[in-house]
Amino acid sequence: MSLLIAEMSPTSHVVDHVLWSVGGTPVLTTQMVTMVIAGFVTVFLLWIASRAIVTGPETEGNARFVTKGKFAQLIEAMVVYLRNEMLLPVMGEHSTRKYLPYLLSLFFFILTMNLFGIIPFADMQALLYVFFTGSDNYHHYYFGGTATANIAITCGLALISFVVIQVHGFRELGVKGFLEHMTGGLIDGPIGLWLIVPIVFAVEIAGLFIKPAALAIRLFANMVGGHTMMGTLLLFGYMAFSGGLGLLGGGTITLVSTIFTVMISFLEIFVAFLQAFIFMFLTAVFISLMSHEEHELELEEAEDAKAAVAGH
Amino acid sequence: MNPLVLAADNPAAFNWMPGVTAIVVFLIVLVVLSLFVWPKISKGLDDRNEKILSEIKSAEEAREQAKAALAEYERNLAEAREEANQMIQSARAEAKRVAEDLKAKNEAELAERLKRASHDIETAKKAAISQLHDSAADLAAAVAGKILDREVNAADQKQLVEESLKELSEHAV
Repeated sequence: MSLLIAEMSPTSHVVDHVLWSVGGTPVLTTQMVTMVIAGFVTVFLLWIASRAIVTGPETEGNARFVTKGKFAQLIEAMVVYLRNEMLLPVMGEHSTRKYLPYLLSLFFFILTMNLFGIIPFADMQALLYVFFTGSDNYHHYYFGGTATANIAITCGLALISFVVIQVHGFRELGVKGFLEHMTGGLIDGPIGLWLIVPIVFAVEIAGLFIKPAALAIRLFANMVGGHTMMGTLLLFGYMAFSGGLGLLGGGTITLVSTIFTVMISFLEIFVAFLQAFIFMFLTAVFISLMSHEEHELELEEAEDAKAAVAGH
Repeated sequence: MNPLVLAADNPAAFNWMPGVTAIVVFLIVLVVLSLFVWPKISKGLDDRNEKILSEIKSAEEAREQAKAALAEYERNLAEAREEANQMIQSARAEAKRVAEDLKAKNEAELAERLKRASHDIETAKKAAISQLHDSAADLAAAVAGKILDREVNAADQKQLVEESLKELSEHAV
C-alpha cells in the first residue's frame, strides 16, 4: 500500500529526500548527494574535453590545433558560441575575459545538474532495492532527482551571482558611482527630480535582491514544473488501472501518457540547456549593467545622434 | 523503522543545508575548473585563433610579394623590350651612318685618285713634251746642219730652235 500512497503524489520524484538528520534538522539529502556527484562529473567531463581542445605537441604539425573527439568538439562549440555570440556583445572584451571562467563553470554545473534530473537514477536504485530485497519500499535510494529543483540550491547559486554582481559593481563604479547608479543618475538632474530620488532608490535597492531571487526562482520553478508534469502524466496510467478501467482502458491511457512523457522528456532536455543558459546569461547581463561601459555606450550613442543631427 | 525519512511533500520546502552545500560545491567546482580546465580551453582556442590569423597574414604577405614580383618582372620585361628597341634603332642608325661615311670616304678617295691621276698624266705629258722639245731641237739642228751643209753657229741654231718650238707649241696646244 505504501507504493500506492507514495506513487500517487506527482511531486514525490521532485522533492528532496532526507538521508540523515541530526536532531530533526536534515543534514544530508539525496539532492545534495546528486549535486556533489554532478560537480565531480562536470569537472571530469570538462577536464577530458580540455585535454582534447588544448594545443597538442609540436610533433603533430598543424593537426595540433584541431580538437580531437566529438565530445570535446561539442563542448568547444558551446564554449565558443557562449563566449563570442552571447557574452562578448553584452559584456565587452575585458569583462568577458574576466568573468568567463565563472560564467562557464556556472553554466556547465547547472546544465549537468539539470541533465542529471532527466536520468532516473533514483528509480533505478529503488527498483534494484525492491528487486533484491523483496521490500515494498520504493523510496530507498541515495542519490538522484534534479538538484536544481531544490529552492535552497538555486538560492545558493543565486547568492554567489548576487555577490559577484555587487562586488563587480562596487569595484567598477566606486561607492559614489554605485549610489549614482542606485538613483538612476537623478542626483545630477534638476532639483525637482530629487523628490523622486527616494522612490527610485528604494526600487533600485529592491531590484538588487529581486534580480538574483528571480534567477533562483526561475530555475527552481522550471525544473519542478517540468518534472511534476512528467510525474503527473505517468500517474494517469496507474490511476486508470487502480480506478478499475481494465486492461483496455488502462492500457490505452498508459500508452498515450507514456508517449506524451517521451515528448515532454525531449522538451525537458531543451529546458535543461535553456535554463542553465538563462541563469548564466542573466548573471552576465546584471554584471554588465553594473559597468561603466554601458554609460560610455550611451554617451557614444548620444554623440553619434548629435553628429547625425548636425550633419543633416 | 525506515532509514529514509520522507520529506514533506512540498517542493518549495526550504532547507538550509543543500543551499550551503551548493555554494561550497560550486566554489570548489569553480576553483578546480579555473585552475585546470578553462586555462587549457582558452589557450587552445586562442592558439588556434592566433594560428589562423597568422596564417592568413602570411598568406596575404605572400600574395603581396607575388604581386610585387610580378609587377617587377613585367617592368623589367618592358624595360628590356624598350632597350632592345633602342638598340635596334641605334644599330640601324649606326649602320646607316657608317655606310654613308664609307660612301663619302670612297667618293673623296676616288676624287683624290682621279685628281692625282690627272695630275700625273699632266706631269708626264709635260715631261714628254719637254723631252720631245729637246730631242726635236737636237734632231732639227742636226738635220738642218746636214741640209745646209754648213755650220750653223750656236746663236743661229738657238734662234731656229726657238722658232720651230714656237711653231710646234702653237700647233700642239
